[in-house]
Amino acid sequence: MNQLNRRDFISRAALVTAGITASNVLAQSGSGSPQSPTHGPVPMRPFGSSGTQVSALGLGGYHLGSASSQQEATEIVSRAMDAGVNFFDNCWEYHDGESEERLGQALKGRRQHAFVMTKVCTHGRDKATAMRQLEQSLRRLHTDYLDLWQIHEVVYYNDPDLIFAPNGAAEALADAKRQGKVRHVGFTGHKDPAIHLKMLSHDFPFDSVQMPLNCLDATYRSFETQVLPEAARRGIAVLGMKSFGGSGEIIVGGAATPHEALRYAMSLPVTTTISGIDSLDVLEQNLAIASNFKPMSAAEMQSLRERCRYLAGDGRYELFKSTKKYDGKEGREQHKYPSSTELPA
Amino acid sequence: MGIPLRNFGRTEQKVSALGMGGHHLGDAADEKTAITLVQQAVDGGITFFDNCWEYHIGKSEIWMGKGLKGRRDKVFLMTKVCTHGREAALAMTMLEQSLRRLQTDHLDLWQIHGVAFDNDPDLFTRPNGAAEAMRKAKEQGKVRFVGFTGHKDPAIHLKMLATGFPFDSVQMPLNAFDYHFHSFEQQVLPELVKRGIAPLGMKPISGHGDAVKQGVITPEESLRYAMSLPVAVTITGMEKPEILRQNLQLAQNFQPMSSAEMQALRDRLKPVSGDGRYELYKVSLKFDNPEARLAHEFPLDTQQSEVKEMLKATENSGKPFPKSA
Repeated sequence: MNQLNRRDFISRAALVTAGITASNVLAQSGSGSPQSPTHGPVPMRPFGSSGTQVSALGLGGYHLGSASSQQEATEIVSRAMDAGVNFFDNCWEYHDGESEERLGQALKGRRQHAFVMTKVCTHGRDKATAMRQLEQSLRRLHTDYLDLWQIHEVVYYNDPDLIFAPNGAAEALADAKRQGKVRHVGFTGHKDPAIHLKMLSHDFPFDSVQMPLNCLDATYRSFETQVLPEAARRGIAVLGMKSFGGSGEIIVGGAATPHEALRYAMSLPVTTTISGIDSLDVLEQNLAIASNFKPMSAAEMQSLRERCRYLAGDGRYELFKSTKKYDGKEGREQHKYPSSTELPA
Repeated sequence: MGIPLRNFGRTEQKVSALGMGGHHLGDAADEKTAITLVQQAVDGGITFFDNCWEYHIGKSEIWMGKGLKGRRDKVFLMTKVCTHGREAALAMTMLEQSLRRLQTDHLDLWQIHGVAFDNDPDLFTRPNGAAEAMRKAKEQGKVRFVGFTGHKDPAIHLKMLATGFPFDSVQMPLNAFDYHFHSFEQQVLPELVKRGIAPLGMKPISGHGDAVKQGVITPEESLRYAMSLPVAVTITGMEKPEILRQNLQLAQNFQPMSSAEMQALRDRLKPVSGDGRYELYKVSLKFDNPEARLAHEFPLDTQQSEVKEMLKATENSGKPFPKSA
């Protein structure tokens, strides 16, 4: 026993999140999350004005690649579909293609019942690059069309200019739609409402726009207050993501319970809330919340925003906005930025 | 064999004479170790559990919450709020966050953390200050008892008491060095005993291991002295299984020191007590909580472990979606 170390207040401590098991914390029992074993199907909502209905809870593609195996991923997808989830998110660059492969495998035989989205990762490169990635995504997903194809990770200030440059990614979206390879098109980003608004200022006929929406976003670099109303005004389907902070930071940090956080995100005027789920425990928890979903009242939402205001203000639980931690390698390389590991926090 | 139980102030509530400190729990090797430490502490007879909203920016509360799962009803759970002069609404936000991390719907005790600056008592009682949050939380049944803590200066503790706020407990450093230097034992403890407020002792080994390492005092002497004072509990950090085992054994076999023994120990330590060398929390800025310094607009020491933790929390991993370990 070392009495000095034991008492040493200056001792260096481990990274706060080290040792915290995400799935174990994210699937919290108690704390207000309903544990009812029997519940109805997940509610459906219209995707814009297309007449297509999608589930109010969507399954995130990145975390599918984080699940322990193909078998677990297949079980997650299968169980989610049985409970009424039909919206499936994915992306060309997630886990170097593994996420798309896993979803394609899991959807075998059930493709026609799913609304499949994936994203293209030109990060400023040309139309031909986009089309090559599309073909690759279709192959990995074992399908000949996408329900939705979105431009991934619009997070740098020159991205809108690059995307709308002649021969850029916007042209690829239009071409793919004309060719019937994709039914709808949109874009995503996690960084800055101003960049989203710049994308929308181009008046391109986006069918959807994806953005972080959670109870802390409302008072910090807010997509909810700046982008959501504009998308709603134009009838563009809003896809919410990062309801738990991206990797559960909001839940692990105790800022809100899973029930509060998911219910808040789903109560916004969004088409779907895409939730990253890498285990059956988290799936069951989130399905229970979504299946028993009753929208929060305006007063409840306001009270939660106010409660979270202080925790939101420095971005500590929305690291995708406040740090480079969530900025993908592919995008950083294309913009000739150093890897985020080479940068300070 | 259990640990002696004592009254929590004038209430009927009983707490174990030895309490487990929350800060050191966050220094445990990993989550699994921390959970086991908490479980073994409960099984060994410890019922008093200390924590704080700002310890290891949440890790201490998260780990303790996991360790107490299924054992919550057996313990007296305390955590602290870190408004450091800021408003009542912030205190309530922190309370809700602490409850979620600790996986409970109520605290047995909620204390104002780290009262250390001369204006803290005034900020506490100002309109819309943390005192209002304490009243509200008690009314709402979210906390059973309220109190305050600090390691800096007995005069500030006395000023807090002079506000007239109905505190159920007061936490302070109590050890054999304290007696001869800015002494909480001499200045604050008698006042608490007189008023029936539960005194909670901390830093029985004087916060820093130097005195033990230099052979000035043994851990046994330290803990026994602190526990022999008229306190409800002595809170100590136990981040390793062997430290827990040792302290459980000491507490389970505890025999109070006689007055003469206590006086002999004070006298022995008097020559090395007078400059605070073994009680750096009373004299050094290094022991100020960074959250408190921020709230008071004092500059931070970027080499301090807590400040490094704050910054490291956002450290870039180079992976878009960092998977927790």
